[in-house]
Amino acid sequence: MQATAAKETLFTASGVEKSFGRTRALADASITLRRGEIHALLGANGAGKSTLSRVICGQIRPDAGDIAYRGKPFSIRRARDAIDAGISLVMQETSLAPDLSVVENIFLPELGRPGLPRFGEMRRKAEDILSRLGQRAQLPLDGDVRALSAAQRQLVEIAKALAQDADLIIFDEPTASLSPGEVERLFDIMVKLRDEGRALAFVSHRLEEVFAVTDKVTVLREGRTVAADVATAKLTQTELIRHMVGRELSQIYTERAPSEHAERPVVLEVEKLKSAPLVRDVSLSLHRGEIVGLGGLVGAGRSETLEAIFGLRRRDGGSVRLNGKPFAPRKPAQSIRAGIGFVPEDRRRQSIVPDLSVRENLLLAHLGAHRGFGLAYRRRDEKVSELLAMLGLPADRLLDASMLNFSGGMQQKIIIARWLMLDPKVILLDEPTKGVDIGTRSSIYAMLRAIADRGVAVLIVSSDFDELLGICERVVVISDGMSIADMPSAVLDEEKLTLLAAPRTSMERNVRFLRDLAATYRGAAFWGLIEDEKLFCLKVAVADQRAAPGFGDGAAVDFGETLIPAALAAAKSQFVAEADGGLNTLIVDVAGSRGHAMGAAGLVLPHDTEPPDAGQLAAVIKAHYAAQD
Amino acid sequence: MPLMTDKERPAMAANETIGTAYASPPPRQALRWLTARLEVRMLLLAVLIAVTLSLASPYFLTTINVLNLLDQSVVVGIVAIGMTFVILTGGIDLSVGAVAGLTGIIFGLVVPDLGLPVGALVAIVAGGLIGLVSGVLISYFGLAAFVVTLGMMSIGRSLCYIFSGGISISNIPESLSDFVYTKVAFIPMNVFVLLVLYLLAYLYLGYTKGGRTIYAIGSNAEAARTAGLNVVGYAILPYVVSGALSAVSALLLAGKILSVDPLAGNLLELDAIAAVVIGGASLFGGRGSIIGTLIGVFIMVMIRNGLNLMGVSPFWQGSAIGAIIIAAVLVERLVSRRGAR
Repeated sequence: MQATAAKETLFTASGVEKSFGRTRALADASITLRRGEIHALLGANGAGKSTLSRVICGQIRPDAGDIAYRGKPFSIRRARDAIDAGISLVMQETSLAPDLSVVENIFLPELGRPGLPRFGEMRRKAEDILSRLGQRAQLPLDGDVRALSAAQRQLVEIAKALAQDADLIIFDEPTASLSPGEVERLFDIMVKLRDEGRALAFVSHRLEEVFAVTDKVTVLREGRTVAADVATAKLTQTELIRHMVGRELSQIYTERAPSEHAERPVVLEVEKLKSAPLVRDVSLSLHRGEIVGLGGLVGAGRSETLEAIFGLRRRDGGSVRLNGKPFAPRKPAQSIRAGIGFVPEDRRRQSIVPDLSVRENLLLAHLGAHRGFGLAYRRRDEKVSELLAMLGLPADRLLDASMLNFSGGMQQKIIIARWLMLDPKVILLDEPTKGVDIGTRSSIYAMLRAIADRGVAVLIVSSDFDELLGICERVVVISDGMSIADMPSAVLDEEKLTLLAAPRTSMERNVRFLRDLAATYRGAAFWGLIEDEKLFCLKVAVADQRAAPGFGDGAAVDFGETLIPAALAAAKSQFVAEADGGLNTLIVDVAGSRGHAMGAAGLVLPHDTEPPDAGQLAAVIKAHYAAQD
Repeated sequence: MPLMTDKERPAMAANETIGTAYASPPPRQALRWLTARLEVRMLLLAVLIAVTLSLASPYFLTTINVLNLLDQSVVVGIVAIGMTFVILTGGIDLSVGAVAGLTGIIFGLVVPDLGLPVGALVAIVAGGLIGLVSGVLISYFGLAAFVVTLGMMSIGRSLCYIFSGGISISNIPESLSDFVYTKVAFIPMNVFVLLVLYLLAYLYLGYTKGGRTIYAIGSNAEAARTAGLNVVGYAILPYVVSGALSAVSALLLAGKILSVDPLAGNLLELDAIAAVVIGGASLFGGRGSIIGTLIGVFIMVMIRNGLNLMGVSPFWQGSAIGAIIIAAVLVERLVSRRGAR
C-alpha cells in the first residue's frame, strides 16, 4: 500500500546453518525480505536455495541462525506455526490433494482445524481471492485438482496462500513447468501481490525471469549468502553469474580443442533426438575412448536424454546411430545386447536389488543380456575376478547379501562394474558421484578414465560443473531440452557453462530474429556477450558464407581469433570495416525490457555489399531485444 | 529386549541371503551361516513343534501319523509353491482355492469322455490359463494383484457351481486313486509328486534366469528393468504356475476322495499364504525361499494334526493357527530386523 520511502522489513534470517547427515546444505545463509518487494533467491544447483526457502516457511528447522519476523525473534517449530504467522510456500512439486476439489484444496489448512468446515463461506472467499487476482475465469472451483494443468494447480497454491492471508509468500521455481504465456500471467499475479504490500521471495535459476520480475537479489553459493539484498536493476547477467559461480573471469580462452578425438571413429551419434515433454532437440556424438559430459540444469532434460538413448523412454523423433547403424531399442535388453550400459541417477531406486547378493547384483546386466534358460554365471567367473581386483574388493564380500552394507561410493563402483562385465561400447552415467563422499569421487573418476582408455565411449550427466569440466574432454550443454553447445572442456569454465545452461525462454525468438536478419541483408548475424577483449557467442546465423565471422554457437574467442576483430573492439553502433577490407560489421549493445543488459547483437556483411543505414538498423535490433524480458 | 548386540547385527544382515544358491559359505563361518539362514531357523522351529507335540501325544510320532502328516501336506503344499512364486514378485494370488475347485470340476466333467491322462492335462491347462489371465491383467495392465485375484476367486467359485450344478461329481476313475497311492520308494505317489515339485521349484528359483528374475522383480523391479530383465513376462509367469499347480493339487485331492466338489479348495488360499509367510517370505516381494515354504507347510499341518490328536476342539484350531502365523512372523522380524524397508 505505502509505496516509496524505505519499505518495511518483514523477515530477516542471518547466519542460518543446516546439515543433512554429513552434507552441509546451509553454512551461513542470510536473507532480508520486505513488504512490497519481490526478492530473488539465486544460486547454482545445490547452492541451498530450496533448503533456505524451506527454512523460511518452517518445513526445516535450522541448526543455527537468527530469524526475525515482524521485528520479533521468531522460532518456527513446525509448518503450522509458519502458516499461522502468515508465511506460505508455493512449491514446484505442488502439495495439493489431487482428489479434492479446488475449493477444498484452497482451504486445506482450514480443514485441519477443529469444527466443521463451512463450504459455502469457503466458496465465497475463494471466488473473492481469485477475482482479486483477476483469475476467476481460470479455475473451476468445484472441479477436482487432478484434472487441472500445471499452471492452474499453481494458481490453486497461490490462492491457498492468500486464503491464509499470507504476508510472506515464497515461490520455489514456480515457472519450471509453465509455458511462456503462463509465466507472463504468473508474473502479473506476483506484481499484484507485491503492490498489495506483501513480501515475495522468488527462487529460480532462470536469470531472465529474475530480471523480469524481481526488485532485489540474494545469491547463495555453497550454502552461504555471497550477495545480499542487491537491487536487481543494478546488476548485469554476467555479474550475477560471477556471484553464483564465485570465480573471477578466468583467462583460459586460449587453449584450443585437442583434435585427436576427431580421428577416432564415432561410436554413438544422436541427431535431433526428441522425447516429449523434456527432450526437444538433442544432438551429440561420442567417439571411441572419449569422455563427454552432458551439462545443464536440473530439469533441462539430461537424464531423459540418456533414458531415450537407452530405450527406457519413448522417442518421438530424431535418430541414434550406433557404430554407424541406426539404433532404436524398444527395451533396455536390446541396448544392453548392442553394447550400451546405463548407470541411472538414483542408485537405490533404479540400480540396487537389495535382496540379491553382491555377486548377483554384479551379474544382473549379464542376466539381462543372457539368452537362455540357465544363468551362465560361470562363464563370467574370470571377468568377476578381474572386476573385483579393479574394485579392490575381497572375493568373500561377493557373498554379502546386501549391497546396502557398502558405502555409496562402493555401491556406485559395483553398479558401474555391472556394466563393464559386458564389455560395452558405450556407457551412459547419470550423476555418477551423487551421494558419494569426496574421497571416493576421485577413485570413480579414475575408474571412468580407465574405462575410456580401454576404448569405451563414456557419456556423463552431472550437475556439478566443476566435475564435468574436470573429467570430460568435451561438454555438450543442454538447455530446455535442446543441445545448444558442444565444446571442448579446455575452452570452458564454470561461468560459461552456467551462462550456456541458463534456460532462455527468449532463445527461440532470438534465433528466428538472427536468421531473418542474416537472410534480409545477405550476411551473418550473431548475438553474444563482449567482455575483456573476448566474445562469447550465444548464437550465430549465417546466410552468406562469405560473411561468416569465424566463430560458431557457444564459442568463446579472443577478438583476434575472429574475422572481425576491429568491429568487436570498436562496438559503436555503426558499420566498421576490417583492416584487410574484408568484412563490414555493425555491433549494437542490446538491453531487455527493463533496461538490463543482454549483451550485443551484430550484423556482418561481405565487403561488396552496400550496408544499410546503421542508425535505423540499430534501432530495429534494439527494439527487438527491448520487447523481451 | 535386544536379541543380539549391535555388533552382531550387521554380520547377521550380511548373511541373510535367502534362497540364493550362490551363497556357499567359507567353512570357518559355516556354523554361523547355518544359524543365520532363515530356513534353518524355521526348521529348528518345526523340530521344536514336533518334539512338543510328540511329548503331548504318544500317537504323534507313530509311522502311521507321520505318513498321515505327509499326506495332509500335499494339497496345501503344492498350492504353496505357486503362492511362493507369486509372493516373491510382490504379488498375491487369492484365487488358488477357487481355481482348485473349478479345475477339479472341469476334470470331473471331462474325464469320462477323455480318459485320465488327457482329462488331467485339460484341468492343468485350464488352471494355467486362468493364471495367465490374472498375470496379464496384473503385470501388463498394472492392476492390483489383490483385486484381480479376488475377482478371479469369485468368478472361479461361481463357475464351480454353474458347471457342477451345485453337486459333487463322484465318477472319478479309481485308477486315479490307485495312482495317488502307488508307493514309490516307500512313499506314496502324491507325496512323491509334492517332493519332486519342490525340488523343481527349488532349482528353478535358484539356478535359472527366470527364477532370479522373479526375485529381482520383487526386490526392485525398476532396477531389474534397467538391467534388461524381462520384468513383464516374469511377473506373469508366477500366476500361470500358481494356476496350474492349483489344478495339480485338485487332481491329487480328487484321487484321494474319488469325487470332486464345488466347494473343494475353499479357503485353501489362506492356508497357502500362511505357509509361505511362516516360511519367511516377505509380502513385499524379493525375500523368501521354497524350502522355507515347505517347512511352513509342515508346521501348519503338524499343528493342526497335533491339536486333533490332543482332542482340541476344531473351533479352537483356527485361533491356534492364526496365533502361530503371527508369532512366527513376529519372531522372524525381531531376529532379522534390518535397516532398510
